[in-house]
Amino acid sequence: MSEPFTRRDLLHKVGRGTVLATLGGGAAFLVQKAHGQVVWQVDAARCLNSRLGVVGVEACNLCTTECVVELSAVRAVNEYSRCGRCNICPAYFNITSAVDERGLPSEKLCPRDAITRKPIGKADPEDPANNFYEYLIDEEKCDGCGKCVMQCKEPLGLGSIVLRIRYNRCVDCNRCAISKACPKDALIQVPVRSQNGGRA
Amino acid sequence: MQYRRVAAIGGKGTGPGQFATSLRGLAVDPGGNIYAANDSQITIFDAAGRLRRRWSTSQPVHSVAVAGDGAVYAGQIGQIEIFDGAGKLLRTWHDQTLLWRVTAIGFVDGDVLAGDAMGRAIRRFDSGGKFRNNIGTDNPLNGLAVPNGIVDFGVDGHGIIHAANPGKHRVERYTAAGELLGHIGQFHGTDPAGFGGCCNPTNVAVRDRIYVTEKAGPRAKVYNFNGELEAVIAADVFDANCKNMSIAVDRRGRVYVADTVKLTIFIFEKVAV
Repeated sequence: MSEPFTRRDLLHKVGRGTVLATLGGGAAFLVQKAHGQVVWQVDAARCLNSRLGVVGVEACNLCTTECVVELSAVRAVNEYSRCGRCNICPAYFNITSAVDERGLPSEKLCPRDAITRKPIGKADPEDPANNFYEYLIDEEKCDGCGKCVMQCKEPLGLGSIVLRIRYNRCVDCNRCAISKACPKDALIQVPVRSQNGGRA
Repeated sequence: MQYRRVAAIGGKGTGPGQFATSLRGLAVDPGGNIYAANDSQITIFDAAGRLRRRWSTSQPVHSVAVAGDGAVYAGQIGQIEIFDGAGKLLRTWHDQTLLWRVTAIGFVDGDVLAGDAMGRAIRRFDSGGKFRNNIGTDNPLNGLAVPNGIVDFGVDGHGIIHAANPGKHRVERYTAAGELLGHIGQFHGTDPAGFGGCCNPTNVAVRDRIYVTEKAGPRAKVYNFNGELEAVIAADVFDANCKNMSIAVDRRGRVYVADTVKLTIFIFEKVAV
């Protein structure tokens, strides 16, 4: 007759399985890293500029100032499927600037003028509110300062703009300089197959 | 005109009179009873804020309204459930195309109005649930500009529908047939008389005046029908991350606002001058 299978046995097996899975996963990650198969990525849920719940603070620009690449390898990216295509986009306009004769803020937000706005469909010359708008980010101008990301974040915006590492610019530092400076540990390493922006 | 906070009811939790995860809609009946659309429930408080009754809906509820006969309408995804005042389900209107997500309900001339956030329109049905016409769709955007994901409106004593069009920073006036009569409001990033941010106001209630809520920063305001700001009812009391705060007004002029983060109903009344 076999020994009864106790709760302790079960916990033992589960514990051993968990340890082995963790060690196996860690080993696999190290192998991937050794073969250049992991990349740095900005975790939007951690990034101060995009994480929900943080309001009323200045945008963090460490991705701009700390990256070893000229102009930074980080860019603001508008995920169009989430964009509200608003007439007055807080990421495009400085929404606290004076209002012009068309009822729009008179100043833009981006210090490098990297965002362009164009009406979708036929523009209504009488009333700019009668259009949806497409907001395009020029990656040659953007330096990843995060100002537009902070302004696009919910609840002010819809959170469609996030920071992404552009891998045609990133030099794959073993220890990313931004990650060392990031106060929220928002720079993480992930296997290439699960990174969010795709290798450019 | 000034307002002061007189009460706060509800709150986040699982206790009696609390809301577990969501507080999306508010209504007040002529007797001053407060109806909350929370979680998958309708919760009713009396005018003093005491829990009177609570019942479950078949799905998460996005809006609530009380008809003249006391029937309670609960807006959901793909349907409206209609209850009697005791919470007995009387009937359900299903429509996957016209009632995609019902974030507001109102009544005009014996008809029922449903704000369909996915369709960016107000749908008008007769009392039996037969579709009559759309409101807010006859424009270059083919609907209300609602990036916040809700349609909200109020109906005044003359049967005029006042609909939030936050993408245009306006409250628009429509007839029940869908004709646009005009609007109040404009964008302004710093002047409280304007509507700020990308898309405000998010919510509207109408009685003797037009009452609205905005997001980022969250505040409740009241305008006269000419569009002149009469008062900022409250701002600091709300959680900074609030959006889509339902607002209701009772016949005494008390204003009820749902804080969607604190899951609390704040009640304000005018300060006598």
